[in-house]
Amino acid sequence: MRIMADSYARRSRSSDSYFRRNKDFQTSLNGAGLYQNPVISSNVVHVLVSLLGILSLCAGQLPTYNRLLMSLIEIKNLAKTYRVYQKKEGLGASLRGLFHREYREVQAVRGINLRVEQGEFVAFLGPNGAGKTTTLKLLSGVINPTEGSATVMGHIPWKRENPYRRRFALVMGQKNQLWWDLPAQESFRLHQQIYCVEPARFQRTLDELSELLDVGNLMKQPVRELSLGERMKMELIAALLHSPEVLFLDEPTIGLDVVAQHKIQQFLKFYQEKRKITILLTSHYMKDVAALCKRVVVINQGQIQYDGSLTGIVDQFSGHKIVTLQFGKDDSISGLERFGEVLEIQPPKAKIRIERTRVAKNLATILSDHSIEDVVVEDPPLEQVIAEVFAQVGGHEDQDNPDEHSRVMD
Amino acid sequence: MTTAKRAPYLQVFKTFLRNSLVREMTFRSNFVIQCISSLSWTVMNLGFYLLIFSHADQIGPDTGWGKYEFFVFLSTTMFINTFVQAFFMPNAQEFSELIRRGNLDFALLKPIDTQFLISLSKVEWSACANFMAAGVLFIFSVWQLMARPENPLSLSWFAIVLYLFYLACGVVILYSLMISLAATSIWLGRNQSLYNFWFYITNFARYPMEIYQQGWGLPLWFLFTFIVPVLVVVNVPARLMAQPVAETSPSTTFLAVFAVVATVGSFVASRWIFTRALLSYRSASS
Ligand SMILES: Nc1ncnc2c1ncn2[C@@H]1O[C@H](COP(=O)(O)OP(=O)(O)OP(=O)(O)O)[C@@H](O)[C@H]1O
Ligand SMILES: [Mg+2]
Repeated sequence: MRIMADSYARRSRSSDSYFRRNKDFQTSLNGAGLYQNPVISSNVVHVLVSLLGILSLCAGQLPTYNRLLMSLIEIKNLAKTYRVYQKKEGLGASLRGLFHREYREVQAVRGINLRVEQGEFVAFLGPNGAGKTTTLKLLSGVINPTEGSATVMGHIPWKRENPYRRRFALVMGQKNQLWWDLPAQESFRLHQQIYCVEPARFQRTLDELSELLDVGNLMKQPVRELSLGERMKMELIAALLHSPEVLFLDEPTIGLDVVAQHKIQQFLKFYQEKRKITILLTSHYMKDVAALCKRVVVINQGQIQYDGSLTGIVDQFSGHKIVTLQFGKDDSISGLERFGEVLEIQPPKAKIRIERTRVAKNLATILSDHSIEDVVVEDPPLEQVIAEVFAQVGGHEDQDNPDEHSRVMD
Repeated sequence: MTTAKRAPYLQVFKTFLRNSLVREMTFRSNFVIQCISSLSWTVMNLGFYLLIFSHADQIGPDTGWGKYEFFVFLSTTMFINTFVQAFFMPNAQEFSELIRRGNLDFALLKPIDTQFLISLSKVEWSACANFMAAGVLFIFSVWQLMARPENPLSLSWFAIVLYLFYLACGVVILYSLMISLAATSIWLGRNQSLYNFWFYITNFARYPMEIYQQGWGLPLWFLFTFIVPVLVVVNVPARLMAQPVAETSPSTTFLAVFAVVATVGSFVASRWIFTRALLSYRSASS
């Protein structure tokens, strides 16, 4: 209840921030040289944009105006290449390496395009090393991109402007930001000061969050004495104390038991629905993704391979259906190989994998040849499909050479 | 949503002080051991100089650095060093580790100056012990200088203010040097020689600059005065305090003015280096 009241207050207050945001937007456009056209001078654009703002203000549709111009998160051709020192085997080679270094380029992110609207909860899926964490780091301004552009709420993240940094948070499941030797509440107080959260509001948020995550009694315990799950909850609280509008979560449930995972999922779901914040999440646990995100972005080798719903992945990437047949008592189960891959035979049942396009035709044949008592046609399990997607090599252009993304150079 | 707010730096700094104290108190015996070990080092140092002054009255003829003048110099060194040790040393040492493990990420997310955050967040309270020892030595030496029959020292308020001002300048110069050195660990990935390097350089700052001002010491004097201005750090305040006769001499005036320039210059340079280095931060993969 308190969250709801608070979020209502936030929204009514946030109306004046739209103007500020739009101004930021204009300056970023001008800064990017997009309006350096001599015919349309930036002044004209300025006037036009202001006019548009006034018009929509009259219509009372400020949010629409904001959306008209840009999405909350816009990513264009974002790329990040790391130059890593190519280490050689053996002492001799190591010594030679002192004078003549060979570098390899690792393209962690290779031209990502993405738009995320306000209030979305998007999951990044991808195998290890796909570039998910790198993308989140780019969006939070921790590292600079090699190429491309991105804006989050109108800000360019790697400019690291304070107005931007006050409005988002990043939680990384594998790193912790709380003071190790101190109780979590001391770190929270520091955050309150750094983010300029009013004391009353801070206390309210803290009580609310600790109640939701059920950690009220752990506040006074040094962080180093907390369990992994408890610490993760504290990290979440620390990240949410300043009520960020955008939240980046990098594997927030890594290493947690089923109960703790579930708890954090529930919390995130509840919190996101009430506050209507925008969340980007990466996770290797399909349960997290299924429970939380309507939209899934599959990243593989630094490129987006799929963007859509979770179940849509099966439609797009799985060319097969699993057909389970129950045979009549005196029917012999044989010759199924010609219809598809036989997965298992447990008389009187058999499971075959049939190519999607041939399901109807094959079923008709089977039904006419055998006495079948029951048929179940289903999609292959999601995790299996995703595993297949991950196994495919990212970009289609270098299908034959999976190692091409790391060029060797001097 | 809110008008442009500035993070309350002073308040944040107070919290750093507080949190560090709480932390040191949880490891109390470690705190006590640190106090004792740094104090005994100071006492040994003092003993060493007492021994030297049992062989000679002055450091070189006509330099004006007699026993108690030099002890004023020594306590000035101690004041500045304890400041650096208390505030910057623990952070600079941790910085290399922050880089290596990619934990600088979190500092970069905070809506507050990154250099401020990483250079002050840990405070070593045990340096207080040495600070007090320096205070005792300072007061005793100044008192000795004031009480001596020939050419006694007369202390004016102006001299005290000037002394404090140049102490602060010295701390800023050393801080700038330290943060510049620490920032190189962003480029190098890891810089464990930081502490050694620091020791080599500041070792030169611990003696009156007259020592270097002859023969082949001159290039050293030039290097550590004008290029890496560590020599002015202790020399300027100590000279103003212990040898006020020299206050009006042109060389002292020149040094005093130069110290201010060096302070501003070092600080600006360190900020530039730090900001440049941050551009190359690549955040360890997790
Ligand atoms: N600081 C770095 N220096 C060099 N290479 C890096 C660095 N960070 C990431 N990489 C490389 O970039 C690629 C993408 O890494 P990233 O951490 O984004 O993967 P990820 O999708 O988060 O994987 P995971 O699921 O394992 O967390 C990897 O090949 C990794 O080796
Ligand atoms: Mg990752």
